[in-house]
Amino acid sequence: MARRQTSLFACCLRAAVALVAGLCVMASPANAAGALNVGVQLEPPNLDPTSGAAAAIDEIVYANIFEGLTRITEDGAAAPALATDWTISADGRVYEFKLRRGVRFHDGSDFDADDVVFTLDRARSATSTNAQRPIFEQIETVTAIDPFTVRITLKQPLGAFPVYLGWGDAVIVSRESAATNASHPIGTGPFKFQRWRKGASVTLVRNDDYWGTRPPLDQINFIFIPDPTAAFAALMAGDVDGFPNYPAAENLALIERDQRFQIVFGAGEGEMLVAINNAKPPFDDIRVRRALNHAIDKQAVIDAGLFGYGTPLGSHFSPHHPAYIDLSNRYIYDPVKARRLLSLAGVGDDFALTLTLPPPAYARRGGEIVAAQLEAVGIDVTVRNLEWAQWLDQVFSNKSYDLTIVSHTEPLDIDIYARDNYYFQYKNEGFNHVIDELRETSDTAQRNQLYGKAQRILANDAVNVWIASSPKIAVWSRDVSGVWADAPLQANDFTKADIANRAPVLAVNAMKPAFPVFAIWLIAATIGAAAVYFSRASPAFLLSRLAGMAATLAAASGVIFLLIEVAPGDPAAFMMGLNADPASIAALKAELGLDQPALVRYFTWIGGLASGDFGVSYTYRVPVADLIAERFWVSLPLALLAFLISTAIGIAAGVMAAALRGRPGGRAIITAAQAGVAVPNFWLAILLVLVFAVGLRWFSAGGFPGWDAGVLSGLKALFLPAIALALPQAAILTQIMRTSMLDVMDNDYIRTARAKGLSQSQVLRRHALRNAMIPVLTILGLQFGFLLAGSIIVENVFYLPGLGRLVFQSIVQRDLIVVKSIVMVLVFIVILTSFFIDLAYGVVDPRLRRRGAS
Amino acid sequence: MTGAVSTAKPRKQNRDRGFLTGAAITLTFIAFAFVSLFWTPYDVAALDIGAQFSAPSPSYWFGTNHLGRDVLSMIMVGAQTSIAVAFLAVGIGLVIGVPLGLCAAAFGGVVDEALMRSGDLIFAFPAIILAILITAIFGATATNAIVAIGIFNIPVFARLTRGAAMPLWTTGYVMAARTAGKNRFAISAEHIFPNLAHLLIVQTTIQFSLAILAEAGLAYVGLGAQPPTPSWGRMLAESQTMVSFAPWLVLFPGLAIFTFVLGLNLVGDGLRHRLDPRRERGL
Repeated sequence: MARRQTSLFACCLRAAVALVAGLCVMASPANAAGALNVGVQLEPPNLDPTSGAAAAIDEIVYANIFEGLTRITEDGAAAPALATDWTISADGRVYEFKLRRGVRFHDGSDFDADDVVFTLDRARSATSTNAQRPIFEQIETVTAIDPFTVRITLKQPLGAFPVYLGWGDAVIVSRESAATNASHPIGTGPFKFQRWRKGASVTLVRNDDYWGTRPPLDQINFIFIPDPTAAFAALMAGDVDGFPNYPAAENLALIERDQRFQIVFGAGEGEMLVAINNAKPPFDDIRVRRALNHAIDKQAVIDAGLFGYGTPLGSHFSPHHPAYIDLSNRYIYDPVKARRLLSLAGVGDDFALTLTLPPPAYARRGGEIVAAQLEAVGIDVTVRNLEWAQWLDQVFSNKSYDLTIVSHTEPLDIDIYARDNYYFQYKNEGFNHVIDELRETSDTAQRNQLYGKAQRILANDAVNVWIASSPKIAVWSRDVSGVWADAPLQANDFTKADIANRAPVLAVNAMKPAFPVFAIWLIAATIGAAAVYFSRASPAFLLSRLAGMAATLAAASGVIFLLIEVAPGDPAAFMMGLNADPASIAALKAELGLDQPALVRYFTWIGGLASGDFGVSYTYRVPVADLIAERFWVSLPLALLAFLISTAIGIAAGVMAAALRGRPGGRAIITAAQAGVAVPNFWLAILLVLVFAVGLRWFSAGGFPGWDAGVLSGLKALFLPAIALALPQAAILTQIMRTSMLDVMDNDYIRTARAKGLSQSQVLRRHALRNAMIPVLTILGLQFGFLLAGSIIVENVFYLPGLGRLVFQSIVQRDLIVVKSIVMVLVFIVILTSFFIDLAYGVVDPRLRRRGAS
Repeated sequence: MTGAVSTAKPRKQNRDRGFLTGAAITLTFIAFAFVSLFWTPYDVAALDIGAQFSAPSPSYWFGTNHLGRDVLSMIMVGAQTSIAVAFLAVGIGLVIGVPLGLCAAAFGGVVDEALMRSGDLIFAFPAIILAILITAIFGATATNAIVAIGIFNIPVFARLTRGAAMPLWTTGYVMAARTAGKNRFAISAEHIFPNLAHLLIVQTTIQFSLAILAEAGLAYVGLGAQPPTPSWGRMLAESQTMVSFAPWLVLFPGLAIFTFVLGLNLVGDGLRHRLDPRRERGL
């Protein structure tokens, strides 16, 4: 008997393994080639580099989709692009650009001087949302001399003007498509935009009409992987061909040993620094700032915060620039001296400060070391971790901070120290004078000398504690070639990139998945009508439940709106990025309707919800309904799959445990269920990834190929997350099912049924199960809502582009209109589910039809 | 309750074993947390970059992390965070929820309806979403995590109390008290509440274990207690990227959560069998 059971079990196991293996084979990866799959850490808020400062935009579109008059080459210089050459007048104010002929935008329209005039006028207009508007405002006039010559007159000489024109903020856009570039960028570059799957990826395809050399790649997929762990997992699982900026430096030693990968170290423009609020006492005292500089051991911060990958800095300048001066030993690590300086400055033993940290790993990890080192010189440090939006609001905009750690990634940005009201709150007329001089100098040697002077002044004033210049660490598959090593801009130029071992390009369905809201209403209404019909609930009961539903929805919407209202952080400021100009922020606010009174916005929102118009996302600039619909098709199948798994396991195991009461089998099930209830689902998820994706490589470590890649590969991507979500829930269900079964089985009618000669299993099936389902139904209803919403954490482990991830990203990005709507949709689903469960009681138990169950 | 399978004796033994195991686990963790107030094997704030990523060994039983900090010490101190957050969150639920439930049962009608519908409103929010919303909006701190988890405990205790208190109002001794002229508050406090205590104790244990899981989840997404306060959920989040070469960093904090929650659940089950025999179910 025992042997038969074993072999039966073995058969089942073999069948399961075969099924899994079959799924693996059938679901071929979505890795198309000639296609390069590039992992990037941050998803851009939109794809228009001329209306936002997010570096994540340039990382995708710069040089690939959009081109400027000039372009920045790998060594940081300005080279001809859409301008073939240019002349500068003797006074340095008038530039004349000769334009390239035969260039066409991706929409087929021709490129000429009119586009240049339009682009530059737009960037410097009063309603411009360009993050570098102050630079464009230096332009006095832009005129088209002929279709292929443009003359630009500046208000004052601007030495680095050709370099500025090579920045992403200055790419040339066409009048016809400028307004829609945020969601569908049209440029002149070697690649065309094809598709943006929000939260997941952006796909570019080769522009066969390109004026320059034909790029080797057919397609580039930028895949968004914000979490360092997921990045590592995706690399190991082969989901991506590499990362231009690999976020998990701690794994590099491991990757180095793996024959499949190459690590490329390049010069980066990131200056990691401990910023000091120079205007806030006691930090306005240079002795205190110098003490801080002596108290922090840069190398230790580099070792722990950047895992050893960094060059110590002594001022705000990239070591890769010819004008760099090594000032890293200006303040050597000397805690004794730091203490002495502090006591000289009169800040004694009770000196306390707050160290505010934004989310990136380098800041959080580096922050721990900095805090410990400051404690070591007798400073009482409170560490405060903020989300980006809160950091921008409190530190960057309101300057309410003592110290913070952040990396400045813009190239050659030493002039930020001359800005009024910049968050360092540093003021030095001498320094401002050097920057003014620099602005008017175009001679390279002279400029470099001025840069040197500026660096020395900053170091001398100990404005900040500069920690390190972090290298650009790229990890690529050995098959990849022709990618940039250095990063003079935060951009990834794939013009010359190639990948060996090409596989055919997968046909990507470029059609946007339309998801009309009336379809949801229709589906809900149909299911509702069916449920009402089959449950035969009384009209009075239905009416009271519907009224209750409406009241709860109204109350919930009020609560959500109020919570969001009091949330700190200005979405417009967040969208514009670090160096944005206040006037641009105001313009954007008006554009988004954020300047309306609260009550108006509430009713606009509620009215829109009912009609399916959820508004437009602040960050993605697409209708919120579309955004939610896209994610819905990941979260809903995931929740359903998890629900099926959990219900199947839970009911089967619960019934079995009841049937085997008092026997070893039953006890084993109970023990397993007790253990299952105690397992945190995200821990289970990590362990599953470790075993089945990183170890056995049966599944990919995460990501979602999209349903167009095939139902099987879609389901396969959802399988591990569904298991992680389902098992703890199944354990709960098992316990409840068992208890409920035992309750029922103690009843007289069961004993009667047994007495009249029915077998145990017949009794279970015919009499007990149906009655035992009633309390179980309640739990099922609760579980469905939980699974749908609870996936938020598990979706993060597997970087699935679902609703949970969307709500979390939206909170972080202060895309409040999305947050409101998602929470509302989830609340709606929970309420709807409980309504259906009430109706289901009637189906299961005719006695409950009339009164329902409350 | 005279089941066909009469195995009363082993059943009781099993149950006792479960309860005692659970109690032992729970007390161990409480002891850990208590001891860590005065002593841990290593200082959890100190850095020792030289000892970075030490595997478990006699000197570091559970290994060290990327800053060279001792994982065992961090788990011990993390127990403080877990217990404090869960204790306060469940406390909020008890202190607010039980009186509300008693009122709802005592006064019925509009009071009852209003209180229960507010409970429905809270239940309509997927718990984790509202918790994330609260902590994201008001800042990621341990206090906000406590409030977020606590809010969900209020209707749990309110409903339980109301449901169990309702039938008591029709019992003879309550009737007697009412005819003696006692007001509803006094009756709730003197007669109703003591008869619910056993239910509340059982539910408290269950809610406590749920709160431990919720705190770990919030800390995992970065919305719980903030560094340098060690927390199990954050330990998992921080070390996830290192799982392939330092698996102990993910293994031990996860095991700590799992074991503690398991222990609490075993205690809860055991208590239920002792205090609430109507729902007793043999093993």
